[in-house]
Amino acid sequence: MKRTLLPTTLLVAAALLATCGASSVTADAAAPRAFPVSVSTSAGKVVIPARPTRILSLSASATQMLYAIGAGSQVIGVDKYSTYPANAPRTSFTGYETSAEDYVPKHPDLVLLAYDTSHLVAQLQKLHIPALVLGPATTVASAQAEITEIGVATGHLAAARSENASLAATISKIVAPLGSAAKGATYYIEFDPTYYSATSKSFPGALLGRLGMVNIADPAGKGSAFPQLSAEFIVKANPDYVFLADSVCCGQSATTFAKRPDFALLRAVKEHHVIAVNDSLASQWGPHAMEGFLQLAVNSVKHQASSTSSS
Amino acid sequence: MSNPPRPSRWAATAAPTTPRTSGGLVARRGAGAPVIGSAPDAAPSPEVAPRRGAAPRPTRLELWQLALGVLFLLGAATAAVVIGPADLSPGAVLAELASRIPGIGVHSSLSPTDAAIVFQLRLPRICLGMLVGAMLALAGSSYQGVFQNPLADPYLLGVASGAGLGATLVLVELPSAASWPFNPLPVAAFAGAILGVVATFALGRGAGRARSPSSLILAGVAVGSFFTAAQTFLQQRDTPVLAEVYSWILGGLSTAGWGQVGLIAPYIALSAVVLVSCRRLLDVLSVGDDEAGSLGVRARRVRLVVIIAATLGTAAAVSVSGLIGFVGIIIPHTIRLFVGPSYRRIMPLSVLFGGGFLVLCDLLARSVVAPGEVPLGVVTAFLGAPFFLVVLRQSRRLT
Repeated sequence: MKRTLLPTTLLVAAALLATCGASSVTADAAAPRAFPVSVSTSAGKVVIPARPTRILSLSASATQMLYAIGAGSQVIGVDKYSTYPANAPRTSFTGYETSAEDYVPKHPDLVLLAYDTSHLVAQLQKLHIPALVLGPATTVASAQAEITEIGVATGHLAAARSENASLAATISKIVAPLGSAAKGATYYIEFDPTYYSATSKSFPGALLGRLGMVNIADPAGKGSAFPQLSAEFIVKANPDYVFLADSVCCGQSATTFAKRPDFALLRAVKEHHVIAVNDSLASQWGPHAMEGFLQLAVNSVKHQASSTSSS
Repeated sequence: MSNPPRPSRWAATAAPTTPRTSGGLVARRGAGAPVIGSAPDAAPSPEVAPRRGAAPRPTRLELWQLALGVLFLLGAATAAVVIGPADLSPGAVLAELASRIPGIGVHSSLSPTDAAIVFQLRLPRICLGMLVGAMLALAGSSYQGVFQNPLADPYLLGVASGAGLGATLVLVELPSAASWPFNPLPVAAFAGAILGVVATFALGRGAGRARSPSSLILAGVAVGSFFTAAQTFLQQRDTPVLAEVYSWILGGLSTAGWGQVGLIAPYIALSAVVLVSCRRLLDVLSVGDDEAGSLGVRARRVRLVVIIAATLGTAAAVSVSGLIGFVGIIIPHTIRLFVGPSYRRIMPLSVLFGGGFLVLCDLLARSVVAPGEVPLGVVTAFLGAPFFLVVLRQSRRLT
């Protein structure tokens, strides 16, 4: 177990992104916009007594959503992993804290979390601070549901709805130029060099599915959206495209990938279809990361497709 | 290990020998056996030096030692209740605490939210730390006494790996369990720990007629590896819960109000009462099984009772706090270095210093990089690893 600790720990952030989708948090679209509002989550109903003005976001994706719907001015702190937008008030919090008292000096009146491993929600409840757990989305629709929920909770429901509409439009616009160039093309996406991958039931998998691409990890993903594959499995599947979402954590690139034993023979390597992706871009489900990842995928696939057809 | 009997370094320098016809644990348990028991702590008993070795040393728990332990525990608790990221004035916190004691007419000046910080966040966490720390240290000293092995710790015998497997099973198979009115995670961890110990015993018994402590430890190692492998397999299969699994493995004292404290307190209390009352028997065991037998102590039975009690308590502690390493080794050894090898001193002092130590470590874990946190297991290991070296040096000098 110790042997796998390092890569798996690195994977944790990525792993979280997609599957906690069980948290099917559906904000009541018909909820009145006047406070108090109640938001139903998988952990029960959360009542927000007044329009929050001191929001603490401990999830990079939630931070992107807050700023996208115009609630940025109500945010007083974001976790250290919330790198977008650049002017968000970053703190040293990780969201891994074990005592809600750590957040008290910030005097938050709404706390957003990506997951709750240390009873934080229950502890915050004792202090009468409402907290929402917005677990990793697995589809664009579930990410949009979280945006709606944040809209209800922060008093920006109308903006949230129009953000969702424009998000859908933007995605269509990004995908359109590709046409059916990538349809049926197989791909492998990795989150660390020990072949932790993601199936099409993960968030990045869902996005690449929009391009019509086929995930080689799907047959391996029984019960998990983030199965660990083997080099042999990948060589045998011989994917058309490879996405390296371990370019930051583990310094992987098309060059290092090609140097792995036997990988030089892969179709993706021979045709230069190995694409390095910023880890966090592939592991967050906020609008910014979503559009960024999709744009990068489309650009590389389109570029590669045109360059191979011209050669 | 038991043959030939010779005084071990870890043995008490004096075995209690005053024959008594009533009272004392042995008398109650060992029907028909020659009865021994020590004189009550208040009256010094004639002490017999071991056949070889140092001059006789007093083994009673001195009042000043007890007082020092209580002082340490209370001091740690007081520090932890007044220090925290929410800048509450220490005076106001103490006044608030006093105001809750009936009959004391102190007026509290804390706001309801600040009072909630003290009573719903800080105090439950301190109590959890005391319970877990006391239990781990007590279980550690018990295992060391039972196995006569200075490296024995509460996670021996498949306890930790069994608990880990149980917890992982719940996290992987019942992802919605956290939102249930009753969280099955501690129960599953507990069941896993018990399963681990039972498997260890079954295997250890099968491993030769000797049934020596070392065959039991070897069985524990085998069971531990097997359960850890099963746990790793589950984790590999279902990686999204890794964050939860690892936060559990690193250990911590996060609690939602008083729930966790109430959940484990009965088990730990029961276990502690049994273990502390076995302290004299552990001293007897330290002269060797055959010797102990000639003194009327049924070594095997004592060993079984102590192991079961220590495991029960450890499982309860592990089920809510995860795996907090080193407490079970640091505390008993430190105490041993200062007050000598008698379990009559080590066991009660382990409770007091173990509880206080973990409360202090948790305070440290949450203040070093405030407002962030260091995992508690990191703090205890950071102190524990260098301490191991000291213990090793010390033991080499003694041999």
